[in-house]
Amino acid sequence: MQKKDIGLGVLIIVVGAIVYMRNPLFLSPINLGNTANLIGLFGLFAIGQGFVIMTGGIDLSVGSVIALLGVLFVDMVGEFGVPWPAAVAVTIGLGVLIGLAHGILITRFRLQPFVVTLCGLLIYRGIARGYTAESTAGFPFGSSYPQLEWLTIGRSFGVPHSFLAMLIVAAVMWVVLHHTVFGRHLCAVGKNEEAARFSGINTRFVTIAAYVICAVLASIAAIYFAMFTKSVQPSSHGNFYELYAIAAAVLGGCSLRGGEGSVIGIVLGAVLLQELQNLVNLLGIPSSLNFAVMGAVILMGVLADQQFAAYRSRKNTERALGLLQKQ
Amino acid sequence: MSVLELRNISKRYGAIQALNNVSLAIEPGEVVGLMGDNGAGKSTLVKVIAGNFAPTSGDVFISDQKMAFHKPLDAQKAGIEVVYQDLAICNNMSAASNVFLGREPTRKIGPIKVVDYAFMRKRSAELFARLKSETRPRDLVHKMSGGQRQAVAIARTLLSDAKIVLMDEPTAAISVRQVAEVLNLIRQLSDHGIAVVLISHRMPDVFDVASKVVVLRRGELVANKKASASSPEEITGLITGAIESA
Repeated sequence: MQKKDIGLGVLIIVVGAIVYMRNPLFLSPINLGNTANLIGLFGLFAIGQGFVIMTGGIDLSVGSVIALLGVLFVDMVGEFGVPWPAAVAVTIGLGVLIGLAHGILITRFRLQPFVVTLCGLLIYRGIARGYTAESTAGFPFGSSYPQLEWLTIGRSFGVPHSFLAMLIVAAVMWVVLHHTVFGRHLCAVGKNEEAARFSGINTRFVTIAAYVICAVLASIAAIYFAMFTKSVQPSSHGNFYELYAIAAAVLGGCSLRGGEGSVIGIVLGAVLLQELQNLVNLLGIPSSLNFAVMGAVILMGVLADQQFAAYRSRKNTERALGLLQKQ
Repeated sequence: MSVLELRNISKRYGAIQALNNVSLAIEPGEVVGLMGDNGAGKSTLVKVIAGNFAPTSGDVFISDQKMAFHKPLDAQKAGIEVVYQDLAICNNMSAASNVFLGREPTRKIGPIKVVDYAFMRKRSAELFARLKSETRPRDLVHKMSGGQRQAVAIARTLLSDAKIVLMDEPTAAISVRQVAEVLNLIRQLSDHGIAVVLISHRMPDVFDVASKVVVLRRGELVANKKASASSPEEITGLITGAIESA
């Protein structure tokens, strides 16, 4: 655990305590379950976004990927009767292709990640809307898919499976980031791509892999979201989700300049974002102020973090000077 | 036996003759000061040795074996390491992680290979001790002095049992005290039998550590002589062209 992660954890607990004091429903099993579900859904793709941000890039297409793949998944299972395991495989496969396309455009054609994924955002959303002709994709009335539903929207001991899925993904990605060679190379590429290349690291591969990871996690999230909402409205489904992911990653200590970040931090970032959403609901703040609250808290958090770091380094300098004067 | 020998190396970029018939032999443990004005061909020569690109004509021999490098990794495998001017290290990582960057040791836990941090720290501590540097493996590089960074970059070269270390302006951007540290590191390498090619504009540094001085001017080798038999004045003359050759 890094210091930042602990600070974030404390913030989550403090905010939680305040909300609980104002409205005890905060800790009711129903509320916790629902919030955990949302944390799972948003955490899934926030982790992927974090990996991309650690390479110094950004993926703005996540929300549109969730919409497009959601539409396709619902259509495959509901409309065309494709067996759901096959549909899941196809959806994740499309995620791989999208990630590869982003990665190759960024590394081979040297386009900026912002531009590539901004175009992705427009293209995938456009395809989703064109493909459905603006109509909502949904499952046929009365249809049910017990296994798929158990895997996605089911609960064990009151814990939503989306949350468990996110925990599993987080655990795997934690090992990948902090304990594999690939993770080391990811941080190196993000901080100093040239140095990484001189050290014999295949920087293109690392960058492409990060975008593939991001798109694959977005495709898994797309399935979870589609099953959660049961119908996908192509023009609004997943709107702004990339910004949630970026916010969670940045809150979790990922530097937009690349090279820094932790999986635990990203997960805690996703937790805090959903906690804030929940706060708006529970404290009776008009939900139209939702984004404003979120923005204000993130801004304050980042500001406090920076001030605290500056304070710490000032203290350290003073201590060092004090030692020198004693000598 | 020379550890590195260049025979009649030429390199052309279109109409520009960057290197013209350069021949040079370097013995193990020798410190060679490679000097020349901007555009004299120093970087090109280093890039040819480091395998960044092949010479237009001429041969490179490592320990009397003819080599053909297609990429930097080939040269690295042959025992040539480069310490780049802007130091190819990552600020966000620990000294140990940087020493092992690109060749991280792993151990297996069940089916997955994980990075062996303990080994990395132990081995890099040994390397820093060999270099008589006070760098600590766990410290983050961005908190280090320029001299310590050089120690990290040089420890990388020890890791692979390099025969030749090419250093591009290692003393350009650091304080006087740190320069002394870096020059000491170079002596350490030399004591371990590693040849060092020191590219530098700083005359005192070169004369401090180099046993041989090589001067390039407009792609041609105009001097190759013992440092003790030369003087900064003579080298300056050779670099500028005031003295034709020596």
